Amino acid sequence: MDSSRVKIAIIGSGPAGLSAAARAAELKVSHLLLEAEPHLSHTIHSYQKRKHVMAEPAVLPLRSSLPFTAASREEVLGAWDDGLRRLGVQPRHGAAVEAVRGEQGRFLLQLVGGGQVEAERVILAIGLQGNLRKLGCPGEDLPLAQYQLLDPDEYRGEQIVVVGAGDAAIENALALSERNSVSIVNRRDEFDRAKAANNKAILSAIDGGRVRLVANAAVAELRQTGPREGVLVLNTAQGRAELPCNRVIARLGATPPRRFVESCGVQFPSADPAAVPAVSPRYESNVPGLYIIGALAGFPLIKQAMNQGWEVVEFIEGRSPEPADNPLLAAKLKLMPGYTGVDAAIARIRERVPVLNPLTPLQLREFLLDSEIRAPAAQELIFSRNDYSDSFYSVVEGSVQIEVDASEGGRVIPLGVGQFFGEMSLISGRRRSATVRAAAPGTVLVETPRRSMNKLIASVAAVKRVLDETFLLRAIQARIAPGLSAAALQGVVANARIGSYAAGEVLFREGDPGDCLHLVRKGSVTVSRQLGGRDTVLAYVPAGQYVGEMALLTDQPRTATVTAAVATETLRLDGSAFMSLLAEHPQLRQRVSQTYTQRVVTNTSSPAGGPGVGVVQFLMSQGLGEATDVLLIDESLCVRCDHCEKACADTHGGVSRLNRQAGPSFEQLHVPTSCRHCEHPHCMKDCPPDAIRRLPSGEVYITDACIGCGNCERNCPYGVIQMGAVTPAQPSLWRWLLFGGREPGSPPPAAVTAAAVAEHGRKAVKCDMCKDLGGGPACVRACPTGAAIRVSPEEFLQMTQGAG
Amino acid sequence: MASADADGDSSHLGFLRHAEFRWAKLALLLSAVSIAAYVWHPAPEGANGGTWLGYTLGGIGAFLILCLLWLGVRKRRYRSGLGTVKGWTSAHVYLGLSLLVVASLHCGFQFGLNVHTLGYVLMVLVIISGLWGLFVYDRLPSRIGQLRAGGTRDAWIEEVFDLNDQAIKLADRVAPDVHQRIVASAEKLRIGGSLRQQLFGRHSAGEAESLRATLETRIAQLRADAARDQDPQSQSTAIFMAGQLQHGVQDSGSLQKLLDLLSRRNALVARINQDISLHARLQVWLLVHVPLSLALLAALIAHVFSVFFYW
Repeated sequence: MDSSRVKIAIIGSGPAGLSAAARAAELKVSHLLLEAEPHLSHTIHSYQKRKHVMAEPAVLPLRSSLPFTAASREEVLGAWDDGLRRLGVQPRHGAAVEAVRGEQGRFLLQLVGGGQVEAERVILAIGLQGNLRKLGCPGEDLPLAQYQLLDPDEYRGEQIVVVGAGDAAIENALALSERNSVSIVNRRDEFDRAKAANNKAILSAIDGGRVRLVANAAVAELRQTGPREGVLVLNTAQGRAELPCNRVIARLGATPPRRFVESCGVQFPSADPAAVPAVSPRYESNVPGLYIIGALAGFPLIKQAMNQGWEVVEFIEGRSPEPADNPLLAAKLKLMPGYTGVDAAIARIRERVPVLNPLTPLQLREFLLDSEIRAPAAQELIFSRNDYSDSFYSVVEGSVQIEVDASEGGRVIPLGVGQFFGEMSLISGRRRSATVRAAAPGTVLVETPRRSMNKLIASVAAVKRVLDETFLLRAIQARIAPGLSAAALQGVVANARIGSYAAGEVLFREGDPGDCLHLVRKGSVTVSRQLGGRDTVLAYVPAGQYVGEMALLTDQPRTATVTAAVATETLRLDGSAFMSLLAEHPQLRQRVSQTYTQRVVTNTSSPAGGPGVGVVQFLMSQGLGEATDVLLIDESLCVRCDHCEKACADTHGGVSRLNRQAGPSFEQLHVPTSCRHCEHPHCMKDCPPDAIRRLPSGEVYITDACIGCGNCERNCPYGVIQMGAVTPAQPSLWRWLLFGGREPGSPPPAAVTAAAVAEHGRKAVKCDMCKDLGGGPACVRACPTGAAIRVSPEEFLQMTQGAG
Repeated sequence: MASADADGDSSHLGFLRHAEFRWAKLALLLSAVSIAAYVWHPAPEGANGGTWLGYTLGGIGAFLILCLLWLGVRKRRYRSGLGTVKGWTSAHVYLGLSLLVVASLHCGFQFGLNVHTLGYVLMVLVIISGLWGLFVYDRLPSRIGQLRAGGTRDAWIEEVFDLNDQAIKLADRVAPDVHQRIVASAEKLRIGGSLRQQLFGRHSAGEAESLRATLETRIAQLRADAARDQDPQSQSTAIFMAGQLQHGVQDSGSLQKLLDLLSRRNALVARINQDISLHARLQVWLLVHVPLSLALLAALIAHVFSVFFYW
C-alpha cells in the first residue's frame, strides 16, 4: 500500500489537468497528477491518427505553462509531453481514483487497487467522457487487452476477440474481420442495442462466417500464454470455454462521471443529463477545497480548459489573476452606458435582470461571454415577425415594444428593464411570433444564443421555471386569447400542464370524449381521419398553434385523431376552465369559433384526395415533422442527371452536401440525404465552439469556427452532415467545354482533397441553403425538369391536397 | 419562401408545364406570326432565304439555335441567376420545336445537295433526337422508381455479394462438384458492361438454366434415394444409425436452399441490369443529340459564312 501526501492532487490529465499540473510544477508546489489510463489526455489520445486538433476560439488568449496551437493530434500531444518533461511533472498512470473523502486540508483519495493519496486541495478535471469500462475480470490490464481501436488496418492475420454488443464493438469487429480472424463475445444473444444498420451488418457477417459469434457468454479470465498470445476464458450456457487469441478488444462503453463526482459530495443543480455542477469564480465547488475545471464544469474547449488549469493553481496559491477572458468581456460590456469596468457591469446586469439572478458569478460570466450586448437606437428593429432567429433577450436598460401582428389582435406591448423576450422561439424553435423594436433611447439588451440558454435552463432550475411560466402565459395570450390580461387567464394557466409525446404517439383519437385543448409548444402533430376506409391526413399543425377546440365547442366526441409527428410538447389546457373563459369573454368565443369554422371547411374540402397516412407517415419518419425546409425529389420527373449534386459541389468548394441517390423513397417521392433545417436542429445540440448558426430566414449553417470534432455529424439523425475538406478552386466551365478534363461539379482529384485536409483538416459541411447565393438553393435551380423542390412541411401538405 | 423559384412558379410541376406553358405559348405565337408573314409576304421569284423575310426568319432561326445550344452552358453555370434551368429546359423544348417552322419557312422549302440543306437536315435530326429525349424523360423516370420500389442499386449489389457468399458456403458443405459449379457461376456474374449490354441487357439465361437443371436432378435423385431408404422393408437401424438417411434428406434440403439462394440472386441481378438499362436509355439519346447539335452549329456557321461571302 503506497501512500503519499501532496498539496494539490489533480485528477484527470486532459488539457485542464495537464495545465494545472504544469503550473503547479512551474511554481514548485507539491502536487500529483493522477490518470486512470496508461497515457495522458485520453480523449485526445483516442482521436484518430493525424487528426487536426483546432484551437478555437481564436480570440481567446492562451494562458498556460504548456504550449497549444492548432496542429495534428501527434504534434499537440508531443508538445505537451515535452512541456511536462521540461517542467518535471511526473504523472502517475493507471491511477484511477475510486473515492475522495475528507475535507479541505486533509483530503484522502482512494485509488482503485488499494493506493491512497493525501492532499490539501483536489482539482477535479476528469472531463465528461467517463472511464472506459474494463473487462472486469483477472487479466483485464494485460497488454493483450485493449479498450479502443485507433486503426483497424494495423492488425493482420491475428486471432482477435471483440467483447461487447454496442456500435463500437460491432464496427471494430467488422473492420478487423477483413484481415483477421475475429470472434465477437456478446453477453446476450442479440445486438439490438446497436444501430439498425450495424445490427444488420454484424448478423450478416456472422451468417456469412466472417465473424464468429460467442453468445450468452460472460468473460471470466484473461490469461497470457506466450508473447502476444493468450486465452480468454468464458462462462457460457454450455459451460466454460477457452478462446485462444492474440488480442482482446473490449468495447463496453464508459461510466458517466456524474456518479463519481456526486460521491465526492459535489451537488448537481438538476437531474438533467446536461447539467454541470456549479462552481465559484475560483472554480471551487460546493465542497470547499475541491475545484472543478474543464468540460466537467461546462467548458468543453481545449483552450478554455488549459486557461482554467493555470488559473485554478493561481487561486489555490492565493493570487487573483485577472481572468483570461476579461478583455473579451470588456469589449462587449463597453457598450453599456456608464461603463466603468467588467465587474461593475456584470453586477449591474445581475441586479437589473431578475431572471439572471440565480446564476453563479462564473455562470453569469460565461453567459455574457456567449451573449452579445446590443445598444439599439430608438425605434430600431430587434427582430421581425416570421424571422427564424431563436436567441433570447433580456432588457438591461430602456425599453422595447412587442408589436403583435394585426392578424392576431394587433397590439403593442411594452417591456421594461428586467423583463425578457424571445422565449417563444427559443422553446418552440418556430419563427418569431411578433416584431420587436427598441422603444426608449439608450436601450441596452443582452442577446443570448439558444445553446447558452439551453445550458442555463438545464443547469439552473429557477431559470427554467420562470421561462416555462412566462411561455405558458404569453403563448395563450398570443395564440388563443389576445388582449386578455394575465389575471383573466389565471384559471386557464393554473390548470394547464405540459405534456410530452414521442413521435407517433397519439394525443387523442377519433371518438374520444373531448376534454381539453392542446397548444403545441414544440414539435408538430398531424390530424387524420378515417375517410372511405382509409386513414387520411387532414392537417399538419406546427408548434404555436392549437388542436382540439372542435370537440370542446360542439360538445361532441373527437372528430379526428391527432398524432405527434416528432417528439412533441403541448400545453394541455383543461376543457372546463377553457369553456368558462369563453363564457366570460364572448369576443374570444367568436374568435375560436372562426378558427373552428375554417377548419371544418378545410377538412371537408380535402376529402379522400388528401395525402394518405402512408405518405405522410413516411415523410414524418424522414423528419418532415421537425423540418422547416426539406429537399424532395419527384422520381417521376427526375432524369437522374445529378445536376443537383453537381450544382451543390460547384457552389460549395467541391463537396456536395446532398446525396441524390441515398435516402428513402415512397410512391415516387424521394427524400435525398440533405439537410431539413430542423426547428430544433439536433446538430446544434453539442457544438463546442458554437459554430452552427441559424439565419433569420431559417437556414442552419456552419461557420469557419468549426473545430472538426464531428459531434454534429453524429448528432444528426438524418445523416446529412459530413466531415469534408473544401477546395478553393473549382474547374472552369469553358476549359471543360473546349478541352475536356474536370467537369464543373465533379469531385476534386484525391491529391487536391488530401492537400486541403493537410492544410485545414476536415470540417463539418452541410447544406446552407445557398445563403450566400442569390435566388435560392442551387440544387433546385439546377434541376432541368422541376423534379427537385425545397418546401416546408405545410407547403408540401398543401401541395398534395391541392393536387388532389 | 425558397421553394418559389425566380419565375414565381411556386407549385411543383414538370418543366413542360413551367410557368403555365409560358414558352409553349411563345413558341406557338412565333410559329403563327412566321406562317402569317410567309403567306402574306409576296415573293415573285419564289420564297427563299434571300428575301427580307427570308433574312429575318434566318436571323431568328440562327439566334434560336444559339439560345438552344446555350442550355448546355447555362445548366452548368451553377451560380447563374439567369432564370432557372427548369425554365431554360422548357424554353429549349418549345422553341426548338418552333424552329422547325421558322427554318422551313426561312428556306422556302428549297432543298438541294449543298451545305445549306445539310444544316437543315442536321437540324431536323437534332429535333427528332430531342423528341426521343422528351419521350424517354416522360416515360422512364417513373419506371425506374417502380423498379426500385424504395431499394437502391448499391444495396442490391451488396445483397448479391451476400447471397453469393452464402451459396458458396452452403455448396461447400454439400459436395465438391456443386461447390465448383457455384463458384464458377458466381465468377461469371456480370453487371452492366458495354453500352450495348447496358441498353439491351445481358443474356446469360442459358447458363443459369443449366445450373438449375443440374441441381434439380440432384435433388430428385437424393429424394428418391431417401424414399427408398425409408422403405419399411429395407429400413434397418444400422443404416439409420449410420446417418445415411439423414444425410440424404439434409443434402436435398441444402440443395433446395441453394436453389432458392441462386434464384433470388439471379432475380436481383436481372433487376440490377434492368435498372442499369433504364438509366442508360435515359441518357443514350444525348449521345446522339449533343454531337448532332455541334455538327449543326458547324453547318450553321458554314451556311452563314457561304451566304455572306460567296452568294
